[in-house]
Amino acid sequence: MTKIDPILLSVYARTFRSITDEMSISVQKTTRSPILCEAKDFVTGLYDADGNMLEQTENLPILAFSLAPVCKYIRNFFGDDLHEGDVIFHNDVFSMGNQNNDVAVYKPVFFEGKLVAWTAVKGHQADIGGNVQGGYNPRATEVWQEALRIPPVKVVEKGKLRKDVWDLIFANIRLEIVNHDMRAQMGACTVGERRMIELLKKYGVKNYESHKTALFEATRKMMEAEIATIPNGVYEGEGMVYFDGHHDGSKFTIRVTITVKDKSIRFDYSKTDPQTNGFVNGTFTSSASATILTLLQMVNPDIPHNEGMVQPIEIIIPEGTILNAAYPKATTFGNHLCPPNADSIIRALAPVMPDRVTAGWNNLLSSLNTGVDPEKNEKYVDICFMGMKGGSGAMKGTDGYDHIGMIDASGGVLDQDYEMFEQQTPHRLIRHEYWTDSAGAGEWRGGIGIETEFVLGADDMQFVTFGDGDFEPAFGLFGGGEGTLNSIILQYPDGRTVTPKNKDLIMGVPKGTLYVQKAGGGGGYGDPKKRNRAALKREVRDGIISAQAARVLYGLEE
Amino acid sequence: MSLKIGIDVGGTFTDFIVAWDTKAPGIFKVLSTPHDPSIAVVEGLKEIADAHGLMLEDLAGRIDTIVHGTTVTTNATLTRTGAHMGLITTKGVRDALEMRRGIREEQYNNRYTNVPPLAPRYLRVGVSGRLDRNGRELEPLSLDEVRAAVELFKREKVQALAICFMNAFANPAHEKAAAELVRRELPDAYLTVSTDLLPSIRFYERVSTTALNSYVGPKLTHYLSQLTGRLKGIGFKGLLLIMQSNGGVITPEIAREKASLTLLSGPAGGPGAGLAYAAVHGLDRAITTDMGGTSFEASLAAGGPLMVNDGEIDRLRIALPMLGIHTIGAGGGSIGWLDEGGLLRMGPASAGADPGPACYGKGGQKPCSTDANLVLGYLDPDYFAGGKMKLDIEASRRAIREHVAKPMGLSLEEAAAGMYRVICNNMAQGVREVTIKRGHDPREFPLIAAGGAGPIHSCLICDELEMPFQIVPRTSSILCAFGMLLSDLKHDFVRTFVARLEGLDWGKLKGLIESMVAEGNRLLDAEHIPANRRKATVKFDCRYLKQYHEVSFEVPKAALEKGDTKAVAKAFHAEHNRLYGYSLEELKTPVEIINVRVESTGVVEKPSLRPEPYDGPSSAHAQKGKRSVYVPESKKFETVPVFDGHKMKHGNRVKGPALIEQITTAIFVSAGWDCVVDSVGSFALYRKGREDLVKGFLGRTAPKAPAKPKAKPAAKAKPKAKAKPAARSAAKKAAPAAKRRTSKPTKAVIKASQRRPASQRVVARQPSRRKATPKKSR
Repeated sequence: MTKIDPILLSVYARTFRSITDEMSISVQKTTRSPILCEAKDFVTGLYDADGNMLEQTENLPILAFSLAPVCKYIRNFFGDDLHEGDVIFHNDVFSMGNQNNDVAVYKPVFFEGKLVAWTAVKGHQADIGGNVQGGYNPRATEVWQEALRIPPVKVVEKGKLRKDVWDLIFANIRLEIVNHDMRAQMGACTVGERRMIELLKKYGVKNYESHKTALFEATRKMMEAEIATIPNGVYEGEGMVYFDGHHDGSKFTIRVTITVKDKSIRFDYSKTDPQTNGFVNGTFTSSASATILTLLQMVNPDIPHNEGMVQPIEIIIPEGTILNAAYPKATTFGNHLCPPNADSIIRALAPVMPDRVTAGWNNLLSSLNTGVDPEKNEKYVDICFMGMKGGSGAMKGTDGYDHIGMIDASGGVLDQDYEMFEQQTPHRLIRHEYWTDSAGAGEWRGGIGIETEFVLGADDMQFVTFGDGDFEPAFGLFGGGEGTLNSIILQYPDGRTVTPKNKDLIMGVPKGTLYVQKAGGGGGYGDPKKRNRAALKREVRDGIISAQAARVLYGLEE
Repeated sequence: MSLKIGIDVGGTFTDFIVAWDTKAPGIFKVLSTPHDPSIAVVEGLKEIADAHGLMLEDLAGRIDTIVHGTTVTTNATLTRTGAHMGLITTKGVRDALEMRRGIREEQYNNRYTNVPPLAPRYLRVGVSGRLDRNGRELEPLSLDEVRAAVELFKREKVQALAICFMNAFANPAHEKAAAELVRRELPDAYLTVSTDLLPSIRFYERVSTTALNSYVGPKLTHYLSQLTGRLKGIGFKGLLLIMQSNGGVITPEIAREKASLTLLSGPAGGPGAGLAYAAVHGLDRAITTDMGGTSFEASLAAGGPLMVNDGEIDRLRIALPMLGIHTIGAGGGSIGWLDEGGLLRMGPASAGADPGPACYGKGGQKPCSTDANLVLGYLDPDYFAGGKMKLDIEASRRAIREHVAKPMGLSLEEAAAGMYRVICNNMAQGVREVTIKRGHDPREFPLIAAGGAGPIHSCLICDELEMPFQIVPRTSSILCAFGMLLSDLKHDFVRTFVARLEGLDWGKLKGLIESMVAEGNRLLDAEHIPANRRKATVKFDCRYLKQYHEVSFEVPKAALEKGDTKAVAKAFHAEHNRLYGYSLEELKTPVEIINVRVESTGVVEKPSLRPEPYDGPSSAHAQKGKRSVYVPESKKFETVPVFDGHKMKHGNRVKGPALIEQITTAIFVSAGWDCVVDSVGSFALYRKGREDLVKGFLGRTAPKAPAKPKAKPAAKAKPKAKAKPAARSAAKKAAPAAKRRTSKPTKAVIKASQRRPASQRVVARQPSRRKATPKKSR
């Protein structure tokens, strides 16, 4: 084994990071779907020959922790049949994928004739076939109603595009831009491959191998040290899921049992409710991603993201539960089971880590609308990112973050730029502002929620809603108040008002309809009466907290 | 006889470089006067006049050009002491400025908070009036609501205003109408109109940049009128130029209106100057570091200085082109303190110039980096600023004992050495930000160590990063001021022009470009730049149809003249492939232009570096004594020779550990290092045994290396490299450079034109620039 050079070790770690960052910029700057280039609903990653994570840029962490398992799966699937210049696509949720719409591109990196690494990009595609454009089909009960399944498939072999395979895939996808966006993801993999080869030319494979191992080791120790600060014990918590898309009033419970023993931590979801008959089901990798990203919120944020980081974490999710549906159940909603999953973990650990947990975060309620831009006579798809982002939960010493969005994104997903939104859709923005009194009260208040309104500019539009948070608000902790509820309302030009369910499909929405969305605030932490008075007065002046709420909830005397 | 003066106002010192076309440049330094920085400017000029036996007025009358860098706007932003300001925007979107598109840069850090907005929410007013995406009016602007906003601003006594409306990039009419009313009603308020400053698409970028401009505008205006008033008062009739963030200069009139162009004014001279000194060694790359009294700046240049189009200051978006310079709070005035865990920390709080470190004797009680340097022997209390300022070493000892040594249970010397080590480590992290974090191996670059205190710390910084080579220029203490004299006049223009390349209306496009070039020419006229010294570079921001982001690339001149669409497309495909790993050339995907950029340059005369004759290896004539200093390698105080840097000449060598003192800079050559003076008088420090790095300056026959006295230096690097693979690449890169130097031993004069800001756009689109904010641990 080559001698480990501590300076070089950090050069490797930082270079891996700069490679995945560069790939991320490449995807952001070249893709066309606003879901990718504006909201950054994608992840870029670098893996070693065996599929172990070297580094990831996790714009949307919920996608992130399924890349390595799939990489390992693909490695085994193709075995010796991997060659320089191959490009592989994958989205299949029954071979470790997290969500049908999240389609990954993997590119094996060869150096001196040997497989040494993988670059990968997974992004949420504007369409992936199935019954409903955009992929969210709340009526689905089986995977085929949701999407085209793509188990590992080579679309490029030894540098040559397999036109037959390519056409087979894109013949089953509605939108042309998906074809282009997948090319952009392939381009980003090439960018990563080039940088990786530069690095190997500089230091050699042997040196890379030994430093990589040392890096995993160092990272694992950091993670173990973090876990060791949590008292040993067994902790239980619950989070609620409302409505399966089919049965009004239905609700489901996620139950976690967390066992901390010295340097290891185990999350056991065996007591969780069974799978649903709709699309409100998780896959193992989306649920495990949710667990990991919630834990990462409670430890030192500087820990590098590689194989060593996940080694001390054990996750048990039995098949057939709502977090790990059995074949061939529908699962598109699975990513959005992250918020209630996070709630269960926070509730379990709050009593023993009161200084490191946050109160509840605003849950996701989102909408996706499709139609034809009448001025351009072109199809468009928009996920309303700017409208769906409420506030985060407060923690001891720090207010929640305003307008950050769901915990699965943790501030990594951006609003569409307003002017770009109006370029890319026929809609016109009326209002996108902080929502007064939406934040849970507390000595540290929750993050502020958002009010969004826009006038729809196309006829016969289709709206899909998906999410939660319209039944149960973000919870407060240790005397803090709860946040506000989510809502979406469509006000038709003829005066009718339509309130979609939190998982719904509305067809034929007319031009001129006013779309009104509220994303709730996060939960507060600690007694509101103890809130800093100067901060409170400033917020009253700024209209973030009303004078009445300041008096009633916070006890502010004029 | 031409006389140019570069003036760099820092937090602690104001630096001067005086460049005559007939003699070597002179360096002067006075303490800054933060309450009115122009006072120090005049004080410095007085000193320069004295030194030349002139009356102040005589000197002032002779100056052709003053190039001036200021940190007025930077400091106002970082310390949030800019204007009390308001924003007039479109109804419904007033919070965009504060939301910053809902990003939290540290995704897993729940203690990470948003930055306070430049305009508080109650002073952000949305008014009715709406344009559609093509600039067509949907609803007229409500002047009544603008008037109501103005009344609020009057009541609240705002000093500055920003106007930014939705879709104004496509039609500035509403902004113009609102601006007219505001100018009439609030004539004294500083006003920025978004389409005047940055008429390009993307609302958040525009509103953020516009607000920043207004936030810093009043401070800069006030300062510039003080400065021009004072300069006029002493009889200065020449050209005053202000350094911009993009590495070019502009007149004060433009700077007043576009104050945000100066947000990086202070350090912007550094990267260009660093490259000029590296070029003496046949290198076209450098890491330039500058340690001032308050801050430490690091920047990287490879070919040309690194530029970014998507810059940020304190997490606030600024969408104007600027140099990629990383700043941290580490300087001579950085205060040493113990954190909650009892760990020693240095800065970012700084004692600045007033009261300054304890040893200044101006009432400062807190131990600073400079105090530690004094106790460790790196500074001579009787030779600070050439003896002009006596340092009170007892005060330093008291401060360190009380605030660091006692609470930590350490001896005075141990405490001082700890402070030294910690601040060096902080600075090494700063260098990491611009190198390792962006995937560059610092060992492949020379470190240019600048700033009065920089070369005391640079050996330890290099040790942390295993960098084998550093250059301390003669102008080290005022490097940025020197760089300013190397800067051309530069004006950037951008216009949104949405059109497909296919069937492009070249007539219209050329008309637009001509009007932009003419705008540049008007500015260059005002700056008295003759036509033969003007350059206009045209760039397009293009994208494949329906992409969201553009690739910015220089349009080949021939293509532009002939209206050759194919050549433009070809340049775009190639750049897209280079940056993003693919192009859609073969798919015949349409390409569209989004923005047209013109960079208008006025080339100015620049001072050149003068070669000195070779003076032989001995430094004996320059040794002025011995002193006991702390040597980090042995962790002990040792008696080391002290040299007078002013007496050292080309070829003179010094073995570490040693001190080299000049009036404005002290260099500590640590035990692992040796030093030779290069052909333009810079001190080239190289790791012991690495004579190969400075072969060109060791005389005709390379003397035997002290460490391994055998074989030729070039051959020696190789076995070493084998033993330690880490060093291999550095050695490999260094070897050809060394070869080049053997054939042409000293490259005498460096022309500033060698600084090619070529890869600017390329680099701007590279990743990780924006991710470079250091992570806070909890």
